Amino acid sequence: MSSSAIEPEAPDLVCQLDNVQGMVDALSSVRWKRHQDAVIELSEHGIVLIVEETSCLQAKVYLQRELFIRYEYSAQGRPRFGVSLGLFVDCLNTFSVPGRSNTIEIQYPGPDMQLLLKSVDSLDACIYSEIRTRIPDMISWDYNFEPAGSTPLSFTVKSAALKEAIDDLEWPGSSIQIILQPVPPSVTFRGEGHGDLQIDFMYYVNTDLLIAFHCDQEVSYRYKYKFLRATTSNIPSSVIKDNRGSKLTIGRGGMLKVQHLVSVARPSVSHPHIDSAGYQQPSRIAYIEFFVKPEEDVDTVNDS
Amino acid sequence: MEFSLSGNALKTFARSITCLARIGNELALQASPSQLAFHSLNSSRSAYQSITFKPDFFDVYTVSGTQVQCSVLLKAICSVLRTPITSIDHLSVLLPNHDASKVQWTLDCYNGMKKAYWITCNVEPDIQHLSLDRRRFPSSFVVRPRDLNRLLSNFQSTLQEITVIATEPTSLPSDAASEIGGKAVELRSYIDPTKDNDSSLHTQLWIDPTEEFVQYTHAGDPVDVTFGVKELKAFLSFCEGCEVDIHFYFEKAGEPILMAPQFGLDDGSTSNFDATLVLATMLVSQIQEGNPSEPPPVAATIHGQANHGTGSQAQERTRGNVSEHPSDHTRIWSELSGSAAKNGSGAEERQVQGERNENDNEQREIQRISTMHISKTRSVGENVLGDPNSCHPMESNCAEDPRGGAEINGHGFSQRHPSNWVDADEDDDEGDETELCVQSTPPYHEE
Repeated sequence: MSSSAIEPEAPDLVCQLDNVQGMVDALSSVRWKRHQDAVIELSEHGIVLIVEETSCLQAKVYLQRELFIRYEYSAQGRPRFGVSLGLFVDCLNTFSVPGRSNTIEIQYPGPDMQLLLKSVDSLDACIYSEIRTRIPDMISWDYNFEPAGSTPLSFTVKSAALKEAIDDLEWPGSSIQIILQPVPPSVTFRGEGHGDLQIDFMYYVNTDLLIAFHCDQEVSYRYKYKFLRATTSNIPSSVIKDNRGSKLTIGRGGMLKVQHLVSVARPSVSHPHIDSAGYQQPSRIAYIEFFVKPEEDVDTVNDS
Repeated sequence: MEFSLSGNALKTFARSITCLARIGNELALQASPSQLAFHSLNSSRSAYQSITFKPDFFDVYTVSGTQVQCSVLLKAICSVLRTPITSIDHLSVLLPNHDASKVQWTLDCYNGMKKAYWITCNVEPDIQHLSLDRRRFPSSFVVRPRDLNRLLSNFQSTLQEITVIATEPTSLPSDAASEIGGKAVELRSYIDPTKDNDSSLHTQLWIDPTEEFVQYTHAGDPVDVTFGVKELKAFLSFCEGCEVDIHFYFEKAGEPILMAPQFGLDDGSTSNFDATLVLATMLVSQIQEGNPSEPPPVAATIHGQANHGTGSQAQERTRGNVSEHPSDHTRIWSELSGSAAKNGSGAEERQVQGERNENDNEQREIQRISTMHISKTRSVGENVLGDPNSCHPMESNCAEDPRGGAEINGHGFSQRHPSNWVDADEDDDEGDETELCVQSTPPYHEE
């Protein structure tokens, strides 16, 4: 180490998070393949992680700065780097010890542009890791989600029910049709193969299955099952336990946006901001977004 | 045809499907105004399950015409019932007309989801129907599922076939000092003797039917039946879930064994559903007996062709261990057969090694073994085997290869040391090669 008159440059980001498991849950929900290359984008607002299946499916995880107990951002612009998602999540997992608080510090970049992680809550031991990053070689495609029309076409459904429905739709197979109907207000998922399956969600005000529903014209689009499946296959169990809802929106051209909320707060340890076990500060939530492109043979209005 | 059900009936229905799915692949559905019947037959045609429901089992039941039938894959129905039963409000099944190509199964869930499945009917259904009159079986017993589970837990969980040996229950009370207790029934593991690598657990279990069974009926000579364990366990789970006892009906080796739920007598009226499982049994008896020469009833004991390797039903092997020497206590003899390094006392081994040819001389050899054993044997309370030819009528090489087999020194037929087996003819040497054996405790008295 040479002492230098010039102050060493501060890293772009140093942040500390006190619930590693929450971050692991949030990032795991966008895993659908063994090997996925993610692009991480840092800004003064937080961290965004993007994964993609080229031009078919894209997922984003928003970890806003309020999730962190410390967030020091000193970069110019928005640094972007590539990292292996599986590696990152598995690495984070090693810091997560059940039953006790796990506070880690994330720093970027390291001396060789690595992502640095270290545990900061233990006095007698330290876990330290470096993850190689790379220059992202693909421009993550901006899916350019636009509303379908003047009124949005969207519905909010209980996440557990959505996952159950998509799991059931594995039986018929390859292509799933989603139909939104204004009268009677309902959402239908339909799959046809060696057998047919149709799952209907009726919008009644008194059940909490369909929490919200906006649709003024009937629309129907088809999506490949495996991409639809990717949007729910790794929903963390905390989402089910917290009884959260997922919002699905159909945009122009049939682009489907699926949004989940994943809690990053520690449920069992008392937190100064948490009054009761169920209440959490709104900012302790990570936002997950999936964009699914529809299949080619699409009709915007289906009069079936 | 249309029917709809919910609540406990739905639970029983789901259990029925699970049981049928463990028997066969296809579900044959026959609906008439008086009942709905589900049948399944396994691919080797050795197990047939039938479950019938009366109309009052259902919330809604309508059948147009005299009979409607179709056939669907059980796997598809199992996919329908993947949804947890507790979250289903009701299930409806609809076959719109006689020649409809799909059956519609609709689940209305408590959470508001409605799931409608259209399952394709099999184009050429193979709908078999088998009905056996339970009264034709002379022997029977009734057992509680949890008791049978407990008895079966003594056997290796991967056991494929089991033998039940039934003897006439003695009228003497079970007396600790007496040698002949009331252990009139034996359960014995059946292991395919031609399997090369026999490292499985062999188990013999003698039980007192008055202790273990709710009811037991058998008169006359001992009989044994050997049948598949997988199907037995499937039916056992079914009856356990329905909280009914299992009634077994049987006659002898080769004749089918029939199982049915025994609804409690205090239920008064009969239940609104019924089930029957018919299993084919091995043609060859595991105990010495008269020649099972009658051809089996075609429908029930449709064994694979004799020389198939599939299933051990075609194998012929008489162990000659007459094990109805009941012991004072329920005693379990278990032996782990050693691996290759056996001591050479097993004469069969010598024979096997000496004369084994690759192909169907194997049959011949087994033939030889059983023949010879028969000739030397005598047993207590058994018919003396007059017929040296104990072969299965289907065995073609049987007749041409009778070996008087004099050169065998006794118990060579078994790879396991015979002194382990409670054997009627204990003129064999005992206790010499005991490294692999479990010695009997208390000492066993020969007659």
